[in-house]
Amino acid sequence: MHIVKQLMAIPGVIAAGEYAYRGDRFSYQGALTDEFARMASILCRANTLSVNMQCEIFDSFAENCGCRPVQGWIVRGAQVTVCAVGNYFSFIENRDELLNDVMTIMRAKVGDVQDDLLASLYARLGGDTKEALY
Amino acid sequence: MDLQEMMGLPGALAAFTYSDRGDLQSHVLREGTELTPQVLDLLARSCVANQAIAEMEARGWEALTGQSGFQPLKGFSVVGLEWSVVVNGNCGVVVRNRDADYEAAFNALQAP
Repeated sequence: MHIVKQLMAIPGVIAAGEYAYRGDRFSYQGALTDEFARMASILCRANTLSVNMQCEIFDSFAENCGCRPVQGWIVRGAQVTVCAVGNYFSFIENRDELLNDVMTIMRAKVGDVQDDLLASLYARLGGDTKEALY
Repeated sequence: MDLQEMMGLPGALAAFTYSDRGDLQSHVLREGTELTPQVLDLLARSCVANQAIAEMEARGWEALTGQSGFQPLKGFSVVGLEWSVVVNGNCGVVVRNRDADYEAAFNALQAP
């Protein structure tokens, strides 16, 4: 299942999308307009580049400290959270366990997963990661 | 903020506090972690910068789109390959991704 469709099927996910690292292309589903999705894509790209630069600096001081390659970032708002992993983003409501579920799926689908194999495989199949784990 | 309490979060590798300028003020490192006080010092500075940028983006986003729900910000996290740093205000915690409970970490950082 495509990650955006999979994310949008989860109650509480407001919008999800994909952006090009070049910054000129994007696609999305959910409660955004084309213009807001364009702005979100630019914002996500800028933040992703910024945290990548920061982690390269950390890594130069403590090689293989575990921060690189950067998987993504999270901005926790009062009622809304923005998550970005790789070149995908999602806007989600602050509901119990939603953030953890969304991050598990996003990391499994687009991140460099080294562990959590079971959760990762279920997320790739489009399954419920919790159902698989518990 | 009690750093020992923060170290009780799932997968916690380090907990730290820092000043508004990003100077590392106190920290606890789990034994055996690859992290060093020097990395935590840099991390603290990046946390201040990232939170300021996120505040600006949230403020701009709300003003431009008319959407609400972002402000006041409750924290920021950078997700690395093996660990994530979760910060809010002047306190942060580094958690192993395998065991990370982001919601628990953000909630713990809301405590006064």
